[in-house]
Amino acid sequence: MNANPHLRRLTLGCFGLMLTAITGCSHWIEMKSPSAEADEPAAQVIARDEQVPLILDRIRTTRNGAPQNSSADTEQRILSSLADIGLFSYLASATSGAPPSGEKTVRARLLFDEAIDSHAGSTALKGIVLGASMYILTPFLPLEYEYAAHLSLDLERWDGEIKHYESRSAGAARYHLFGATPIMIDELKGHVTETCLIDLARQIAQDTGFYTASSAPLSESGIRTVSVKSRSSSTSASAAAAVPVSAPVSIEP
Amino acid sequence: MRRSPLAAPITFIAALLLAAVTCQGEEIVPRLSVGTQEIGLSAGYLLPHRLTTDHTTKQSGPAVMPSWAMVVTDPIASGHWYGGQLLLGAEIVYIQFEEPELTHGVGFTPKIKYLFEGTGRLRPYVEFAGGPFWTDLGGQIPEQSSQFNFILTAGGGLSWFFTSQMSFNVGYRFHHISNAGTQYPNLGLNSSLPYGGFSFYF
Repeated sequence: MNANPHLRRLTLGCFGLMLTAITGCSHWIEMKSPSAEADEPAAQVIARDEQVPLILDRIRTTRNGAPQNSSADTEQRILSSLADIGLFSYLASATSGAPPSGEKTVRARLLFDEAIDSHAGSTALKGIVLGASMYILTPFLPLEYEYAAHLSLDLERWDGEIKHYESRSAGAARYHLFGATPIMIDELKGHVTETCLIDLARQIAQDTGFYTASSAPLSESGIRTVSVKSRSSSTSASAAAAVPVSAPVSIEP
Repeated sequence: MRRSPLAAPITFIAALLLAAVTCQGEEIVPRLSVGTQEIGLSAGYLLPHRLTTDHTTKQSGPAVMPSWAMVVTDPIASGHWYGGQLLLGAEIVYIQFEEPELTHGVGFTPKIKYLFEGTGRLRPYVEFAGGPFWTDLGGQIPEQSSQFNFILTAGGGLSWFFTSQMSFNVGYRFHHISNAGTQYPNLGLNSSLPYGGFSFYF
């Protein structure tokens, strides 16, 4: 009945190795904000001849407070998200060409503020422990990567009226060392950004009446003015993302 | 005339570097994000340090180090001279001791590496590694009595990215080999290891 002690040790060793290999490769993503789909309002209807085009004037991106270059991918994703609402006749970027003069258009300005925390300190400490244990403790010491996004959108109607929308979302990727991949981080950022965009779209859809062509007359002169000035600083600019018209989804991280 | 054992690898590396330099026109900016893995192969030559009068062995010989590491942080303190990224990994170290006798040593060392941001393409790094090391040199020299030892390594180097995914590395390591007092004598063997190699990031 007594099993060979060598065999028992070998079995235990193999089991431990398998456990480390299997559980040490896992990762999972936790969203810290409620899904925007939970309270989706009823769909609204707009006549085709009531639709107006939307021109994306600019996207400003900041990461942990520092200004970044906006990528074409981000711009494309935002335009696609706004197109999905079905509210606007077509969407275009200001860089892709000026809209026909005398046409009613909605102009959009977006601030995309990202906050990234890769928990460098605790990762370094855990890394030392993991290395010292010859990576045996990998299944028991998960690492963490947090990402939060704050989108602030100004939509300016053809008559100069501006509506402000905001959405926030956050999430964390928890992973064991051998389960880390750049794709995992992309997935996390994708989920968080998507939640924000869905929430923004939901808010805009609720204001459908505000963007119908008959909601306001086109200014007679057809000439609009814009203020020309330099930005004082990036921090003050981001702080100026001010009064929310519709209640933002505020997420406690 | 005896040919240096380093002549062939140095010529090979120089030829590769020359090819890399002449083939590159555009700006190379390595994008290393969390989860990016590094596979590397380095080779060098171990040179002895006799730190006390009790040390008599002049152990020397070529060393080969295949390695793996993973980027576990985004750039830390970006914009500062000390800004960089942390990598965790492990490597196998194989040393062929040509002196005092033809013997071999092999070890497995988990390692932690900090890769500075540098100039983007040229990125300095520091690293520390340690782990078990077996060598049949142990027992044949007055300093070490056992074949089972531990190896501790600390050093630094420079990575030069000749593509956004490949780098050429040169560096220096200080090696200490001893058995943690599990058997006596245990004076330890100390060595310098200048090395060169390549890394592939994916």
